[in-house]
Amino acid sequence: MSYDFDWSVLWSGQSGAWLLQGILTTLRISALAWLLAMALGILAGAFRTVPWRPLRAAATVYVEFFRNVPLLVWMFFWYFGVPPRLPRPVQDWLYDHGAEFWAGMVALGVYHGARMSEVIRSGIQSIPRTQFEASLAMGLSLGQAYRLVILPIALRLIIPPLTSEALNLLKNSSVALTISVAELTFQTRQIETYTARAVEALTAGTLIYLGLCYAIAWVMGRLERRLAIPGLIARAGGVGP
Amino acid sequence: MRRALSLLVALALVLSQAAPALAETTLEKIARTGVLTIGTRTGSPPFGFINRNNEWVGFAIDLVEQAVKPAIERKLGKPIRVEKKESTPPTRIPLLSSNAVDLIAGTMTHTRSRDEQVDFSITYFVTGAQFLVRKGSPIKGIDDIAGKRIAAQQGSTNARIIRERVPTAVLREFPDQPAAFQALVQGQVDAYTNDGIQLAGLKAKAPSPGDWEIVGDFYSYEPYGMAMRQNDSAFRDIVNVGLMEAIESGRYMELYDKWFGPKGDVPYPLSAEARIFLRMQVVPK
Repeated sequence: MSYDFDWSVLWSGQSGAWLLQGILTTLRISALAWLLAMALGILAGAFRTVPWRPLRAAATVYVEFFRNVPLLVWMFFWYFGVPPRLPRPVQDWLYDHGAEFWAGMVALGVYHGARMSEVIRSGIQSIPRTQFEASLAMGLSLGQAYRLVILPIALRLIIPPLTSEALNLLKNSSVALTISVAELTFQTRQIETYTARAVEALTAGTLIYLGLCYAIAWVMGRLERRLAIPGLIARAGGVGP
Repeated sequence: MRRALSLLVALALVLSQAAPALAETTLEKIARTGVLTIGTRTGSPPFGFINRNNEWVGFAIDLVEQAVKPAIERKLGKPIRVEKKESTPPTRIPLLSSNAVDLIAGTMTHTRSRDEQVDFSITYFVTGAQFLVRKGSPIKGIDDIAGKRIAAQQGSTNARIIRERVPTAVLREFPDQPAAFQALVQGQVDAYTNDGIQLAGLKAKAPSPGDWEIVGDFYSYEPYGMAMRQNDSAFRDIVNVGLMEAIESGRYMELYDKWFGPKGDVPYPLSAEARIFLRMQVVPK
């Protein structure tokens, strides 16, 4: 039983507009979640390495709690679990202003923040201890040492694993369709509903994800080369095609 | 990059070549494996759902077991087994075309656009879309939903009709019933729209059924059929024969009473029109 492909369903009718809307929503939710995840990741990653136990403990609890519960559960938690506990006017406002989008964004951001913090921590810990001691000996405070010396180097070191994490985040944004966020995967299913052409719609979705991810990887590759500190981490080979 | 691309193309070619190798008819497949694999629902009482005893049961499943299966066994001259897989609106057509299941028996509406992809049996249930709302809600039907937040099931015909008829309604589409109902319970949406019979099932299973009501006239026509792969008329004939015999012999009504009768899971009397319509689909021997 062979299958007759009909690719025209991807641009006939409203399909094209839907796909475009889906791409925009996916990019919007992923970009915002990525910013949140980076902020949380840098904070938690740095906190896990500071010489002060309560801060380390708090960051460890955050990381272990949020990365060890499935993302799908977090989606439901932020969408079904959190809003009913807010005051009624806030709830109504949220429900009228895309509660599902914000819940999905926070779920993605907090979950990936926990994962990114581990990447950032390993970056920080790969910097020789002497460098940290040298910064303190220069008269920098702990905060200054992190802000001016440790993090700038660590963040450069971890661009490759951070890229992977960003790509994961983008692809994981499709989980948000379970709480009715109309992102890319949702829209490909929409096309399937209208045309009953699932294979074409899924293939289009797959290729779009591939394209988006490849574009991000390319940008990050450029960034890596651009930011490399000469003589320190710009080793031969490795970066980008 | 160019090498990577050509690798991808090669992979795609291999995959697309692999499919036609499986060209056997559904009856041949069932004869070879001794198994009829159906795709059905887990959360759509009473058509297909997990009951309190953790058993996967339902009206559509009973129809397959007691109407379709005997007809196939008679044709093949040997006993077969029915195996169930979960299918949802977005997955059911791919499940069929990839040969993962042979028959969709759940809550699938027979439509003309779906007919281009799959074939349908005769209609075994007739319903139409309505709204489930909290008791006392101002929503009384499709004319009251402009500007309201309406939950619908992703991939259903209802969402499509709402989008076309009331574009100002804010649609929230969920992949399954429990999530959509949860959104309604919490007030994230003002109403949940689905086929009337499914809403009745959901209401019957809700913790406090008295809090909810089903409102509005049918704003769509939803004839349920069993779907199967395109262009396999021998198999479709057998499925139809099984269903016709069940309607003719009264077996269908027994099953209907079991699920929709006064003591059934979802009391829902069969309308006189629906009864006549079912009878008239039974063609002579």
